[in-house]
Amino acid sequence: MRRLILFGVCLAAALGLIWGCAGMDYTSVATIALKTAPKVAAASREINDSEEYYVGRAVAARILGTSRLATDQQLTLYVNEVGQTVARKSTRPNTFKGYNFAVLDTTEVNAFACPGGIIFVTKGMVQTCASEDELAAVLAHEVAHVANKDGINSISKARWTEVLTTIGTETAKQYAGPGGQLVTLFEGSIDDVFKTIVVNGYSRGAEEAADTQAITTLRNAGYDPGALASLLNKMMAKGETGAGIFKTHPPTADRLAKVKATAPAGTPDKMEEVRTKRFKSVKL
Amino acid sequence: MRASVWLRKPRCWLLVLGLAALLCGPGILAAGMMKVTQANQSMYGEPNFSGTPIAPVPSGTEVNVVTISGDWYQVEYQGNKGWMHRQAFAQVQAPTPSLPGMLFGGGVQQTKSDEVALAGKGFTPEVEASYRQKNPGANYAQVDQVESFQVDSAKLQAFIKEGGLKP
Repeated sequence: MRRLILFGVCLAAALGLIWGCAGMDYTSVATIALKTAPKVAAASREINDSEEYYVGRAVAARILGTSRLATDQQLTLYVNEVGQTVARKSTRPNTFKGYNFAVLDTTEVNAFACPGGIIFVTKGMVQTCASEDELAAVLAHEVAHVANKDGINSISKARWTEVLTTIGTETAKQYAGPGGQLVTLFEGSIDDVFKTIVVNGYSRGAEEAADTQAITTLRNAGYDPGALASLLNKMMAKGETGAGIFKTHPPTADRLAKVKATAPAGTPDKMEEVRTKRFKSVKL
Repeated sequence: MRASVWLRKPRCWLLVLGLAALLCGPGILAAGMMKVTQANQSMYGEPNFSGTPIAPVPSGTEVNVVTISGDWYQVEYQGNKGWMHRQAFAQVQAPTPSLPGMLFGGGVQQTKSDEVALAGKGFTPEVEASYRQKNPGANYAQVDQVESFQVDSAKLQAFIKEGGLKP
């Protein structure tokens, strides 16, 4: 009997050892170093929605570091209502934390889409629009940039590969501090996106794709799809170059021709007049 | 005959039950409420890291584990159902002393899954916090203000209706 109990205890101890070791795998540092590179390659991935969100917040914080928000709550509410109306009919109605629209207190004519869904439109841009439908066209165009991930995709591939390599190491936590490698890479990513959306502008291909998508969104939301052509026409007529939306969104003759061919500016219907009336009732 | 006599003794039953508990332990422990022990964890719609996270789940939160499929636990949290990786519930364990470790300078714990190493990290709130500390000129206060502005759903529907737009 004692032998049987002894056998049972030994068996339990052996099982305990096997179980205890199953979740842990200790190996030398050299072995891990050798294994790290193929691991990173195997687990390579695109930037995910939450990471896009944090990049977008940082880009927005940088923009708001030099530009002021408009304090007019009525204007902010109105721009958000128009923005949400088009965003829900876009190809990407939901982002990680949703869309938010804000007005920048400047006469410069511009609009920016931060990755993840924070969209800025300047007071100057709102003043350039003659109707709610034209404002909706601007916002639908910016929502299309978010939906197409044009901002986040401007992070260089080499930088993102370095991010994956850094976070693939076993000691990644050490890199998340203020002086860490991951924060440096995050800063570089913000620079990449900021340069694209504020300084250099998107590629012409990205702009044309956003135009096409904006027209579809306007149609799906019930706005006049010709409002984009009408707005671009007005912007070209102004003829300003080198700053504002003309730099980030060059309304070239080719681009305008394509927009007009897809959705020419039309005569406003009765409901559009109702919308224009409420647009004009918002004090700027 | 001898075996059946042996099984009638209570002490032997205790031994058998102990062995059964050892073998079935992980399954029993995994069911029911479990506490998230790791920071920056999220609940996913599918049992993989490639999708969009449904919601962040803070460290210390207790979630109800419904089912387990491999490394993924289907959980209920704040009325939503989703999937969390087992790593979110990992217990911090001190390394066990080992002879090779003592001889060659100690061991380093290695995670089991390649995905875990990458998906739980990246651009996280921790990185944002460090970035903010490093870049005091970035105006996060106003970003929070922009994000806090919400349009009431009923008011938006009224706005859409008033403008003759599509609901």
